[in-house]
Amino acid sequence: MTRHAADAPGDAVEDYLDRLLLTLSGSPRQVRYTLAEVEAHLRDAVAEGMAAGLTEPQAQARAVRRMGPVTGVTGHRTGLARPSLALGRRLMLTAALIGGAGFVAIGGAGLIARALLAVKGDAFLTAPWPQASYTRADCARWLAGDPGARSCVTAMLADHAGDFLLQATAAGLLGLLALAGYLVLAQQWRDRATRTALPAGTAEALGTALAAVAAVACVGTALDTEMTQRGIGAGEPWSLGVAAAVAAAVFALALRRTLRRTRPG
Amino acid sequence: MRSERLKGHLDLLLMSVLSRGPGHGYEVITRLRERSDGAFELPEGTVYPALHRLEEAGLLASAWDVVAGRRRRIYRLTPAGAAALAEQADQWREFSGSVARVLGTPAAGMTWRPLPRGAPA
Repeated sequence: MTRHAADAPGDAVEDYLDRLLLTLSGSPRQVRYTLAEVEAHLRDAVAEGMAAGLTEPQAQARAVRRMGPVTGVTGHRTGLARPSLALGRRLMLTAALIGGAGFVAIGGAGLIARALLAVKGDAFLTAPWPQASYTRADCARWLAGDPGARSCVTAMLADHAGDFLLQATAAGLLGLLALAGYLVLAQQWRDRATRTALPAGTAEALGTALAAVAAVACVGTALDTEMTQRGIGAGEPWSLGVAAAVAAAVFALALRRTLRRTRPG
Repeated sequence: MRSERLKGHLDLLLMSVLSRGPGHGYEVITRLRERSDGAFELPEGTVYPALHRLEEAGLLASAWDVVAGRRRRIYRLTPAGAAALAEQADQWREFSGSVARVLGTPAAGMTWRPLPRGAPA
C-alpha cells in the first residue's frame, strides 16, 4: 500500500518531493502544478515497479533514480538546492529591509529636527560641550562658519545642529538606496527556498523590536535631558525617538498583515 | 544513448510522441522509451522543463484531467506544434541523411575501428 503521509519515514518519493519543493521557483500555481505532475509521475512509476515484483521501497528508489536530480525537473542547472544559499539571500534581504528602514527613520528624524530647530532654536537641538573640552582654535573654526554668531557657544550649537541635520539627510538617502536594493533583490529572489528560509514575518518582527528599543532609549534620554538639563540638547533624542516610534509602528502593522496573510485556513 | 546527446533533440522527440495522441508526462516518457526500443534513456524529470517550454512557446497545450484516480496534466500538440514538428523532422532527415552519406557504409565483412593514436588522418 502506498503511503501518502507527509511525514512517512524513509519514503523516497516524499523526500524527493520535499527537495523539489525547496528548489522550484515561479508563481505558486506553477509550483503546485509541477509538484502535482511529478508526484503523479512518481506514483505511476512506483506502481509499475511494484507490479513488476519490486517491494515498495525498491520501487520508490527506482522511480526516484529514474526521475533524476531535482534540478533536472526545474531546468535550473544551479537551482537553489542548497539551503545555506537561500538562507544567505533571505538574511541579506532582511538586513537590507531593516537597515534601509532604520536609515530612512534617521532621515525622518532630521526632518523633525529641522522643525524643532525652527521653533525652539539650536540650544534645544544640541547641547553645548563643557567649557574645558574645546580650544580657542575650535571656537575660531565655529565662528568662521557662522560669522553672525554672537558667541563661541552660539556658533558651536549652530555647527553641531548643522552636522546633525547633514548626517541625518545622508542617512536618509542611504536608507532609500538600501530599500531600492531590497526591492530589486526581492524581485529577483522570489523562489520558494529563499522566501521560506526564515519564518514568515521574521524581518517585520525584528524591525519592530529594534525600532521599539531605539524609540524607548531615545525618548528616555530626551526625558532625562528635559529634567536634568532644562531641555538643552533634548531635540536630538526627541526627533530620533519619534522617528523610531513611527518605524516601530510601521513594522508592527506590516507584521500583522504578514501574519494574517500566512495564517493557516 | 547518452542523455547529453539526446537533449538537443528532445523537443522534436516529445512533439513526435505527442503527435500520436495526447498524454501526460509519464506516458510521454514511457512512449519515448518504447518507441526507441529502450535506446533513449534520460532522467525522466528532464521532460517537464521541456514540456513546459514547448507549452509556453504555443507548440503544446495542456489541461488537467483525472486518469486512473490521479489528477494529471495532459499535453497535446497544437496546430503550431504540428507545423513545427513537420519542419524540424524535415531538417533532421536532411541532416541525418547527409551524415549517413559522409559516413558511407563499411565494406562487407569490415567494421569501423578507431585509428591508432598518432596515425595520419
